[in-house]
Amino acid sequence: MTQFLDSIAYGQWVLHALVLLPLIGVVPVLLGSESRAKHTALVVTTLEFLVSLGLWWALQPGVGTMQLLSDTPWIPGWGISYRVGIDGISLVMVLLTTLLMPLSVLASWRYITRQERGFYACMLTLLTGMVGVFIALDLFVFYVFFEVMLVPMYFIIGIWGGANRLYAAIKFFIYTMAGSLLMLVAIVVMVWKIQSVTGILSFSYDHLLEHAGVLGSTAPWLFAAFAIAFAIKVPIFPFHTWLPDAHVEAPTAGSVLLAGVMLKIGTYGFLRFAVPFFPQVALSPGVSRLIVVLAVIGIIYGALVAMVQPDFKKLVAYSSVSHLGFVMLGIWGGTVESVQGSLMVMISHGFSTGALFLLIGMLYERRHSRLIADYGGIARVVPVFSLMLTVVALSSIGLPGLNGFVGEFLVLLGSFAAWPWATGIATTGVIFAAAYLLWALQRLIFNPLDNPENERLTDLTRREVVVMAPLLFGIVWLGLYPAPVLRRMEAATARYLEVARQAGPAMPGQARLGATVEVRP
Amino acid sequence: MTRLDLSTPGGLMLALLPEIVLTVWALLVLLVASWRHHTEQDSRLAGWLSLAGVITALAALAALWVNDVSPDGLAHMVALDGFRYAASAVALLAAGGSILLSLGYLERERLLAPEYYVLLLLCTAGMLFLAGAEDLIVLFLGLEVMSVAVYVLAGFDRSDVFSSEAALKYFLIGAFASGFLLYGIALVYGVTGTTNLSLIGAQLATREVPGMAALGLGLLLIGLGFKVSAVPFHMWAPDVYDGAPTPVTAFMATGVKAAAFAALVRVLLEAFPTATALWQPVVAALAIASMVVGNLVALSQRSLKRMLAYSSIGHAGYLLVAVWPGSRGGAGAVLLYLLAYGLTTLASFGFLAYLGRGGERDVALDDLAGLARTRPAIAFGLAVCMLSLLGFPGTVGFIGKWYILTAVVAEGQAILPVILVLTSVVSAGYYLPVIMAMYMRPAPGPETYAGIRLSPTAAGAVAIAVAAVLVLGIWPADLLDLAGRSAGTLTQTALPVATP
Repeated sequence: MTQFLDSIAYGQWVLHALVLLPLIGVVPVLLGSESRAKHTALVVTTLEFLVSLGLWWALQPGVGTMQLLSDTPWIPGWGISYRVGIDGISLVMVLLTTLLMPLSVLASWRYITRQERGFYACMLTLLTGMVGVFIALDLFVFYVFFEVMLVPMYFIIGIWGGANRLYAAIKFFIYTMAGSLLMLVAIVVMVWKIQSVTGILSFSYDHLLEHAGVLGSTAPWLFAAFAIAFAIKVPIFPFHTWLPDAHVEAPTAGSVLLAGVMLKIGTYGFLRFAVPFFPQVALSPGVSRLIVVLAVIGIIYGALVAMVQPDFKKLVAYSSVSHLGFVMLGIWGGTVESVQGSLMVMISHGFSTGALFLLIGMLYERRHSRLIADYGGIARVVPVFSLMLTVVALSSIGLPGLNGFVGEFLVLLGSFAAWPWATGIATTGVIFAAAYLLWALQRLIFNPLDNPENERLTDLTRREVVVMAPLLFGIVWLGLYPAPVLRRMEAATARYLEVARQAGPAMPGQARLGATVEVRP
Repeated sequence: MTRLDLSTPGGLMLALLPEIVLTVWALLVLLVASWRHHTEQDSRLAGWLSLAGVITALAALAALWVNDVSPDGLAHMVALDGFRYAASAVALLAAGGSILLSLGYLERERLLAPEYYVLLLLCTAGMLFLAGAEDLIVLFLGLEVMSVAVYVLAGFDRSDVFSSEAALKYFLIGAFASGFLLYGIALVYGVTGTTNLSLIGAQLATREVPGMAALGLGLLLIGLGFKVSAVPFHMWAPDVYDGAPTPVTAFMATGVKAAAFAALVRVLLEAFPTATALWQPVVAALAIASMVVGNLVALSQRSLKRMLAYSSIGHAGYLLVAVWPGSRGGAGAVLLYLLAYGLTTLASFGFLAYLGRGGERDVALDDLAGLARTRPAIAFGLAVCMLSLLGFPGTVGFIGKWYILTAVVAEGQAILPVILVLTSVVSAGYYLPVIMAMYMRPAPGPETYAGIRLSPTAAGAVAIAVAAVLVLGIWPADLLDLAGRSAGTLTQTALPVATP
């Protein structure tokens, strides 16, 4: 495989292709007829996924630094150029994005019935933005992609969303923009400060990372600006209030991408920018304690609120708050295990929650209701659907053998040394997750079938099975044999910890650094 | 680089070539209009002649700019530097755009008086004087030529009460502001014995700024503050922008603002570069007040035109933030932002003029509902404008805000940038609903927007503006360079004089 990729000079064009392909795809989508739009979008996103698959082999697993680097001047006078590159952490996020995209397109096949061209054009633009965010190595470029994602998602929620879509769309936009604009100021201040010391005006990630030590007393402010931007995106309690609205009102594809990819941009931002730039602030005892406390509050609060939701989609939305709390806890756990665990939670949350949203969407298309109380006992009517929902729910709970377990287990294991109490409390979050999902499952598909309307439900179509199959495969594969994924992330994770350790205060649990991860359930 | 001796009449004439060309064209159009002022064709003829005038003036300006004409020795009466050329170019572009918007509009509104175009040209000539003034007297003359023409233009729709109200209000408050300005000029002259900006700067460089000069500076700031509609001198702006015919509003929001800001920057940077401790707090206060008040009040507007009027006050605040550092970077940011804001605003008001069909004052958000379904091109253009005004990446508005942030941060100031971005977030609260109405609400009926016709000239103008907003937003490198270089010449002329 590697030889084949070399022979077509894959590494030289792949990152550009991944960003440009969806944008080029927008043209035939907009110029074609309404009814062909989805076909074009499916072809483009599938092609994108196939192209991105090569990255799995093109990346050297043992190397922690950025690979496949490319640098094209954009605004040379200002030290801005289109720098892209990829490491193990970006790799899995990019692959997650490109995998979820064609599935989302397929899931919208019957759901989106009006203004289809516009919808699929938004989806493709969104894809460009999401891939761009994960590969950008220039802060200006990162910021542009970070913001550009907002507009298509704003339209996807606002045009094709549910009854309360306008409110949800503008709330989503303003929340995210408030954070990102503060980050913009922080970027400018940071670049200027570093320029005044080094004499080089550059927005390059590596340059800034190398000289971030000179920031001195401004570092806490800059970290605060970055952290708020990413905290809103994650979202960390108490910045989460946009999330239930946006997730519930968005059409299925929008929810899948919001939960599956866009939330991870927040945690990715912490891993890539906020912590490595300002380790001495981010990992100082005060800030660490604050973030860990907020993460644990998020875990418990999200789970408790999820438990009382009558609307299944809202339940899943709140469960995201809980899951992302684990990610934050793991990032601040400070060990290879905990950080890798965070990354695994990010991936498996993309699979599980993406799959849950897809299944809810399929149910909604049939009955036009997401209220748990409207269902009950449908396992007998729609056995395939019920089986899949059960598997996905179990994976989201963290059943050993499925993907959810690996990440959360690693996070808890890796964070315990540094944060025994917090980890202890967070563990109860797993129990709560079992409670709310199993209870919901019972009310949805078990219990007596008492609503006559549910007797006529049809089971999943072949298209819907095709949508679910890759996710179910991923759920089982990541649960049973996560080693290949972990191996690809390991070097980048180790490098992340090394950067954080070099400049930062003594990290909790750093004695365990370099411990090899072996997970064999 | 060509040197020009400004102390000779010939040199001065050459330096004032764009202004002279424009004035001659204005008289020519006036002459034509005095014979032909009845029919639509007459109005059109005057319009096209004026456009030709603007283009020749642009050519004259380009001739000066390309040859990099600069003064031989001290700049006398009129400046010869990149800053003037760039500011004049923005003013001329605003004039050209407004003429294109007016071409179909005046016929539709039955405002068939070719004098409209004469006034517009004279006003533009005033702007050029204002943008190039190296002397407080020239500055005042330019300001008055510009203002008097704009007063009349604002009240051009004589049958409309609001238009007349706008003219009267603008005239009274404008006269008041001119009084402040003139008093300030007198005081500064009293202290320094000169009205030449560079010489004032040289005079004040060697000593502590006397109280009288400080007072004069304050009065100058108040006078110019009125013209750029900075809070608390903004009271006229919403009513005037609202009442004036929409192409005139576009012209005021882009051209008048550009010229006034150019004059403000030149006065502060050339005459008072040593008094930054005096004027920086004032400019910062004006900027903060404008950003906060303009954006917050715009939130609660129902009418689109009035919303844009208040938002222009907010944008004046952003521009004042760029003035604050008193640096080369800040001046460059002012130039770039003026162009960015000008392009965007011109297109926005252009769309509005044609959406209104005679009642632009009453176009509310709900009147745009579902526009995207039947008129996708108009909706797309307006959406791009809203995003650019919001400062969204991919549009030139973002590049403008970015430049301002950089210029201010480079002076070690972080409070103003933070307020700037926070008020930008507030502005999303009124820009986004426009997009929302067009794209996300259903149209009241299938024929709602059937009557909208963009005249070909207006369509061309807004199409070019929207395309420029996008293209310059994505490839801003050359523009940033140009703005930086143009602004660079400004401080260079001031410095050698300041240390004789």
